[in-house]
Amino acid sequence: MRDLKTLSTEPRRNREWWVAAGFLAPFMLAFFMFVIWPMAHGIYLSFTDQALTGAGGNFVGFENYVEAFTDPTLWGAMRNTVWFTIISTVPLVIIAMTMALLVNTGLPGQWLWRLSFFMPFLLASTVISQIWVWIFNPEIGAANSVLTGVGLEPLSWLQTPHLDLISITIATVWWTVGFNFLLYLAALQNIPDLQYEAASVDGAGRWRQLWSITIPQLMPVTGVVFVLQILASLKLFDQAYQMLPGSTDTSRPIVQYIFEAGFVGYRFGYASAISYVFFALILVVGIVQITISRRKVQR
Amino acid sequence: MSVAQQSPLTDVTARRNLKPGEKPFGIARLLAFAALAIMAVIWLFPIVWALATALKTETDAAAGDLSLIGESGISFDAFAAVLAEGNVYIWAWNSLWTSAVITLITVAISAMAAYAFSRLKFRGRSALFFMVIASIIVPPQVLIIPLYYQMLTFNMVDTYWGLILPQVVMAPIIFILKKFFDAVPIELEEAARVDGAGRFRVFLTVVLPLSKPILGAVSIFVFIQAWNNFLWPFIVINDTLLMTLPVGLQTVISAYGVQYAQVMAQAILAALPLIVVFLFYQRQIVKGVATTGFGGQ
Amino acid sequence: MRLSRRQLFGAGLAGAGALALTGCGRGGPDDRTTLQFWHPLSGGDGIIMAGLLDEINEAQSDYYVRPTVLEWGEPYYTKLAMAGAGGRAPELAIMHSARVPAYYPGGLLDPWDMSRLAELGVSEEQFSGPVWENSVIDGELWSVPLDAHPFVMFYNTEICEAAGVLDSDGQLLEPDGPEGFLDICRQIADYTGGNGLSFGFLGEPPQIWRLFYTFYAQHGVEMSFPEGGPAEIDDDAFIGALEYMARLTDGEVASSRGDRDSSIAEFSTGQTGIFFDGVWELATMNDAELPVNMGMIPTVFGTPVTYSDSHCFVLPHQQDPDEEARDHAYEFVARLLEGSLDWADAGHIPAYLPVTESSEYAELTPQSSYADAIDHVVYDPTAWFTGSGSNFINEVGQMIQGSMVSGEGFEDTLERFRSYVDGLLEGTNPVDPEGSHG
Repeated sequence: MRDLKTLSTEPRRNREWWVAAGFLAPFMLAFFMFVIWPMAHGIYLSFTDQALTGAGGNFVGFENYVEAFTDPTLWGAMRNTVWFTIISTVPLVIIAMTMALLVNTGLPGQWLWRLSFFMPFLLASTVISQIWVWIFNPEIGAANSVLTGVGLEPLSWLQTPHLDLISITIATVWWTVGFNFLLYLAALQNIPDLQYEAASVDGAGRWRQLWSITIPQLMPVTGVVFVLQILASLKLFDQAYQMLPGSTDTSRPIVQYIFEAGFVGYRFGYASAISYVFFALILVVGIVQITISRRKVQR
Repeated sequence: MSVAQQSPLTDVTARRNLKPGEKPFGIARLLAFAALAIMAVIWLFPIVWALATALKTETDAAAGDLSLIGESGISFDAFAAVLAEGNVYIWAWNSLWTSAVITLITVAISAMAAYAFSRLKFRGRSALFFMVIASIIVPPQVLIIPLYYQMLTFNMVDTYWGLILPQVVMAPIIFILKKFFDAVPIELEEAARVDGAGRFRVFLTVVLPLSKPILGAVSIFVFIQAWNNFLWPFIVINDTLLMTLPVGLQTVISAYGVQYAQVMAQAILAALPLIVVFLFYQRQIVKGVATTGFGGQ
Repeated sequence: MRLSRRQLFGAGLAGAGALALTGCGRGGPDDRTTLQFWHPLSGGDGIIMAGLLDEINEAQSDYYVRPTVLEWGEPYYTKLAMAGAGGRAPELAIMHSARVPAYYPGGLLDPWDMSRLAELGVSEEQFSGPVWENSVIDGELWSVPLDAHPFVMFYNTEICEAAGVLDSDGQLLEPDGPEGFLDICRQIADYTGGNGLSFGFLGEPPQIWRLFYTFYAQHGVEMSFPEGGPAEIDDDAFIGALEYMARLTDGEVASSRGDRDSSIAEFSTGQTGIFFDGVWELATMNDAELPVNMGMIPTVFGTPVTYSDSHCFVLPHQQDPDEEARDHAYEFVARLLEGSLDWADAGHIPAYLPVTESSEYAELTPQSSYADAIDHVVYDPTAWFTGSGSNFINEVGQMIQGSMVSGEGFEDTLERFRSYVDGLLEGTNPVDPEGSHG
């Protein structure tokens, strides 16, 4: 039956192939040039000693990967990245959900709430970095003015090991929470009113409704937000590179190490190898996500 | 026309209706309102503070107190100095037109490809589509080294094309648009095809007009991404005359040392265009980002 | 409603565009050639450089130099390398000369044409020996030095006089060997009731390296880092210098916890009599209105040398250089060198001898009192990984700080240093993996 159908439509299919090629060509050309080819070429580069200067390019086997796995700086960067992902993802999900739940109560001032929470997301990393470097200025910054105002010791927010990544986290939460907030707000709209109506007929109060209807209904979207946030946090570069005064072993994220190895140290081969170690990390997270969502569907 | 009216966009308008039996201003609502107000103040503070600093004299800005207005009152010196220096115009113009071109090319080629994936039957369609979608998992950060190398080879480092072209591939847009096209009733197109219109004409005259809302939504998303993109423009552009706003602000400093009011004035000027657009198009932007942000999930 | 909004928005965009377009014509009159010029000088240095540029831009009408200031250190050197690699680099840039070896073998720089420079009055004779030699590598001139900015000694003449450590000319006494200098410092400490010497080193690896390498080279030796290794290091000089630095920072001669800011504060408030830092701190000292004189770091180990680096002009690699612009770049550099007297205001010693030998320069105090340091400068050992702002200095400074603070483990530090450097030398040189430049 199926074969017969294919056969009978063969001439038409052939013609459609050409039409499809026309529709697809521009995107596919760009896709191959700027995604597929660099990906393949990056793998090749990771087996060479290619330099930024154009020198090198000799095949060196697994040397770069061996170096990567024994490079304490890489593992340090990996640790910093994972740590940042943990301390940023949790508040970015919880605060976003809280904001969305509060805004969704329909309190007056909708326009203002959305403006306040979402606007920072529209700013470039450079802009938010400059603003927060100014706020975190150890001598005359607003953050320390607040601390000393309530009788606390001032801090060197961006210059102290370990505190620096926390300061980056604070700036990041402020910057990007609006995006998650919007996703939650959108999800809240999709909870059918009927459920609430039924619940209040049964005498369930507002608080009961929150825990028995709203929160459970938000679980799937929370899963999505979590995964999107983890993937975003793992890619930390812009604000860390721009806010921190220098790159240190306790703050350097992995993408910054790629940048440093390639463009500061000129070592394109090694930088490519690190890129693929980083990609492996991302893939693991992606595979975990797919496995979890598959399992959910099966249930 | 029913398709266009029934908006495919994720709606993010909050419920305004009170639940049955609810008091308009109970304790709970007051507490919620207070919580929201506090959060809003915290979230607005950095921008307000930046603006306040930009409107101070350098001496007042360096005073290190929390007053919103400096001792010598409101001063436009910092803005004047930044505008007189002139780089900001060049960078803003570069950002504006390159982001516009990136948006145009991205949306155009993605819509065409998405249409092919949605409507046309050809060998290898699902494999190709899978490949495009699978590429979403590849972080652009992984590609910077080989991409830069490629730009060196093509002699496109420090050119607008080197800046623009690698940014036009956005697989999630294909996914979203294909989902939309899948939902458009095929009858509308068939009517046009019976009248003898070719695929491309149908696409241009029937499909695209129906897709205005979704195209608007993804355009907004692409434009914001391009306008704010830092890593790639930072890597591929060294010539200060070709820089975009984020890259220029980050790279070029003042010969006269750090001047906080001027730095904040620059930041405010760079933030202003998107904030103004947001004030005018809040609803559309919010919808667009929510729709695109989910990647159709 | 919607329509009007859109119109408003459109009008706004058009306005912004028009504004931006008018902004595009900037950069000097159109009939002039624009020279893009990058430098990392901000603050005091930046203001003087801006003044020099304004003068030159006004003094002629053939070219217009358009400066771009980038943040000093890694951001600057990274962008400069990327611009050179891309082949559309600015016409001119300033570098630290000790960084040049990390740039020229990879083709990131173009060499200067010495005969073209000589026609403009810029040749070997106008520079001190060590400074010029440092600019010539493999027979090519890769950089034109603007200055030398050595690591020097500042001393408070009032305090030193009262402590009895000045000679009849008002100069600090020449110390008689390592012990002699410690004695001088102790004598000052007795007078001030604090320390004798201020040296900010804690958390400042570059400061540590500058003083360390000065003492090392005062033994009459230099390190040599040949490609492929092993590094040639004089063990006795290394241990001698290291041990001496630990003795200096014993909490009596100099603070054992001195960081950069506290050392400046200490010296400028009269709690100590001597201060070791770069010439660039002159402006800070002038602002503090201290009775200050300057000189080379005291020669405690026999050979009078002092660690230095130089700002120099380089030609970042251009794939397709515009010969006319290049010509103007040469003219500009010659002009700037001739007028570099003002550059001394920032503390730097101008490299162009006609300037430092002029009568105007002789009248500058305290600049003229340390000008002869330019004949005794030593630079970082030549290698792709050394130079101002390099990771090498960071790592090595931290190693040295360890034994300075603990006052022991000098042999271990030497071994760590040796194996660190050998590791770098044995590894491939990323600038030039094939070793084509030997």
